[in-house]
Amino acid sequence: MSNKIGNSSSGSFQATKISRELSKRSIDAEKLAYCYTCGTCTAACPVVRVFPRHFNPRIFFQKLSLDLENILTETGLWLCAMCDRCHKRCPHELKLPEIFSLLRKLTIEQGYLPDVPSKLEETLAILREEIPFPVVYGWLCLRPCEEETKRSKFDNLVLGVLQRSLANYKKKEVTPLPKTHRERIAIIGSGPAGLTVAWELLRMGFPVTVFEALSEPGGMLRVGIPEYRLPKYVLDTEIEYIKDLGVEIRTNTAVGKVLSFNDLLKEEEYKAIFIATGAHKSRKLRVEGEDMEGIFHALDLLRQVNLRKRPKLGKRVVVIGGGNVAMDGARTALRLGAEVVQLACLESREEMPAHEWEIREALMEGVDLNVSWGPKEILGDGEKVTGVKFVRCVSVFDENGRFNPSFDETVTKVLEGDTVILAIGQAPDLSFLREKTDVLGGRAIAVDPMTMETSLPGVFAGGDAVSGPATLIEAVAAGKIAAASIDRYLRGVSP
Amino acid sequence: MEEKPCVVIIGGGVAGMQASLDLADRGLKVYLVEKSPSIGGRMAQLDKTFPTLDCSICILAPKMIECFRHPNITLLTYSEVEDVSGSAGNFTVKIVRKPRFVNETKCTGCGTCTQKCPVVKPSEFDMLLGNRKAIYMPFPQAVPRIATIDKDNCLYFTRGVCKICQKLCQADAVDFEQEPEEVVLNVSAIIVATGFNLYNASLISEYGYRRYENVLTSLEFERLVSASGPTGGHITRPSDEKIPKKIAFIQCVGSRGLGRGVAYCSSACCMYATKEAILIKEHEPESEVFIFYIDLRASGKGFQDFINRAKENWGVQYIRGRPGEIVEDPRTKDLIILFEQTVSREVGGLKVDMVVLCPAFIPSETNRKLSEVLGVKLDEYDFFKAKDSLLAPVDTDVLGVFICGCCQGPKDIPESVVQASAAAARAAEVITLTARKET
Repeated sequence: MSNKIGNSSSGSFQATKISRELSKRSIDAEKLAYCYTCGTCTAACPVVRVFPRHFNPRIFFQKLSLDLENILTETGLWLCAMCDRCHKRCPHELKLPEIFSLLRKLTIEQGYLPDVPSKLEETLAILREEIPFPVVYGWLCLRPCEEETKRSKFDNLVLGVLQRSLANYKKKEVTPLPKTHRERIAIIGSGPAGLTVAWELLRMGFPVTVFEALSEPGGMLRVGIPEYRLPKYVLDTEIEYIKDLGVEIRTNTAVGKVLSFNDLLKEEEYKAIFIATGAHKSRKLRVEGEDMEGIFHALDLLRQVNLRKRPKLGKRVVVIGGGNVAMDGARTALRLGAEVVQLACLESREEMPAHEWEIREALMEGVDLNVSWGPKEILGDGEKVTGVKFVRCVSVFDENGRFNPSFDETVTKVLEGDTVILAIGQAPDLSFLREKTDVLGGRAIAVDPMTMETSLPGVFAGGDAVSGPATLIEAVAAGKIAAASIDRYLRGVSP
Repeated sequence: MEEKPCVVIIGGGVAGMQASLDLADRGLKVYLVEKSPSIGGRMAQLDKTFPTLDCSICILAPKMIECFRHPNITLLTYSEVEDVSGSAGNFTVKIVRKPRFVNETKCTGCGTCTQKCPVVKPSEFDMLLGNRKAIYMPFPQAVPRIATIDKDNCLYFTRGVCKICQKLCQADAVDFEQEPEEVVLNVSAIIVATGFNLYNASLISEYGYRRYENVLTSLEFERLVSASGPTGGHITRPSDEKIPKKIAFIQCVGSRGLGRGVAYCSSACCMYATKEAILIKEHEPESEVFIFYIDLRASGKGFQDFINRAKENWGVQYIRGRPGEIVEDPRTKDLIILFEQTVSREVGGLKVDMVVLCPAFIPSETNRKLSEVLGVKLDEYDFFKAKDSLLAPVDTDVLGVFICGCCQGPKDIPESVVQASAAAARAAEVITLTARKET
């Protein structure tokens, strides 16, 4: 990939240098040349839905081949949320998030941009306009490493900007936003989707009440994501800010237990309801031995650790699953004192749904990877776990692309351990709805995709409870669409 | 006795039929082998052809009849080529005729058996949208007009009961004892014309094919809009049989990608999508039709004009932008297309009643076996490889074996017919050359 534009010798030298760096770090530059700007990446990108004026992957990559240097000055470089949808949907399966990530690192490490902190602050300002937790968002998308011994120039710079931004929250007095409407909206769940809807509606002048089942707000941001990926103080600071603006969050108030969904529906006070209960239920493995002592579901384990309880794990841990939650579970097990952590999943290394960098970091921390294995039986001495027996997984998907694993039972493997962590899937817990609204196949809340309204008038839903487990930016995008939709509903405007 | 030189043509679609007629008309003997019960191929499944908007079966059926009655053509339908040995001028071809369990000389094609058979199965010809019976004729204009029993679904073969077809057949044509028949031919040349299939669009899972009822492939749409199809030519959508008022076409589903699907362009889809869009407008002038494309490939004579007329005269709306995802509204089963309008950079969602996907053209699944049997190379996509794409485009590297039509690569009907005539000419040339050697 060579830069044909630019007469100044230093200009084209920089661009060629960047191209060489990218190729050296295994970006398939040749493949990028096949891009015919079909627009699928932009169409699939949730960041574009939230920041249409600031981000357009198609144009970014068009510019990449034309004017490599100048795109380093664009804030768009820092907005990619690394959700990977563009990569999966691109006809060429171009690894776009990886290119963003590499360009970010190169920009800082090689000094291609004179004033990176200003650019990052500019990015945070853009984020702040549209989402209620810009620092949390930036932290998760830029993934700075906090450990002093491992910090790179990139980490130091990014952390500097994010910490300064956090400090700003403490400096000013926060005045609650004015309420210009009387209609109050009830939001079930204080995760990213719920908080986004709450903040958006509050900004429009609506009073909102958020019902949170757990003792602390944040949803998966708090109980799913481990401390080493998102420190709690970051989350706490931004949620405090949201509360100071006027969002009422009632913790320890599970809808379905403390008050029923029916009661909420009947409450005169709430003119609309938004369901954002996420996907916190763990999928069961359904094999022999699943209820023995020493077996944890990753989501439960992470929740306990994140709520500052210290679950007792053994020394030899077997983790079953190939996604991000499995990686989180495995790395958390190490931090809880496990000596050996072995992970096994159905997928091959290329098929594993976890983010590439999550897998790399888990491997670097000493997690032992065993790919293409399906759990057959959890072995035990009658009460406690002693290991897991696996059979070879031959294929995960069938010829129609559906999840339909097939096995060769003649090839087996036993991983020994006194602890098993299951991370094989999440699903929304919809029992609180008691069938009051349509549910898709019992697994997710059915909504009109344009309005996010459920089959119950005035009841809306979004986030993981609707889509199944997805990413932060998708929850935010859903929240913004829902808030606008709720506003139209309350004003009697047709969608 | 001097025998006429023979040619075996494998595949009874428009290319195979064209080659057969060319050779037969100049006095050569042709055996046209077709694996399904009837000749006709993909063209018989289409409603109209582009850019002329001729009725497809109306222009094809006379050729089908001609193949049937031509004194120099022998149809071997429901048959497959099992083995080939020898060389140009002297091939030995072993063909297996699968048992139809219906006597070909006795059956009159009256159709009584198909009416009375109690077993209903999805029809392959109707792309599984309509039904056929266990004893069936694949479509009304099938040639030869002889019933065939699908052994795997016939009650007699699976459970030993029924036999209604035999009881009712006035020609006493049903013969459950029929065995596969081996036919060994000595031929001078072989032409391969095995056609194409469509890429499995469910592998582009974000478009919802087979998950959402109202997402169809183009061939399924052709069956809907055909008068001989499952809805009698009424475009109604699968979920509720309502007439769709807003329909979207998605181009390049599985084509032109280094990732999922194939890397090549399937050549005919921009044109046939335009044609199908015009057909919708002909049926329902008030409907809105959208075509989501990346490029519009209109390389033949009159093709660009065809697209211009679609835009200006018919009001078909072309949107440059390959969609990111299709989402279904669970209550109405309407579909929402998430796309970027790349010309204006607007990102949006378009709600439509029905979506038609244009999947990539892929080779017939028989090509792998045939390539081994014939000793002919396949390319990396399993299309047959020409000896030289410029200098010998219908030859293969086996002298005496020629290829034409979509088995060589994706193309439209006129190009298939041209290649078929070219292959026939080459086959005739080889016959002349090898015959001269013998005398």
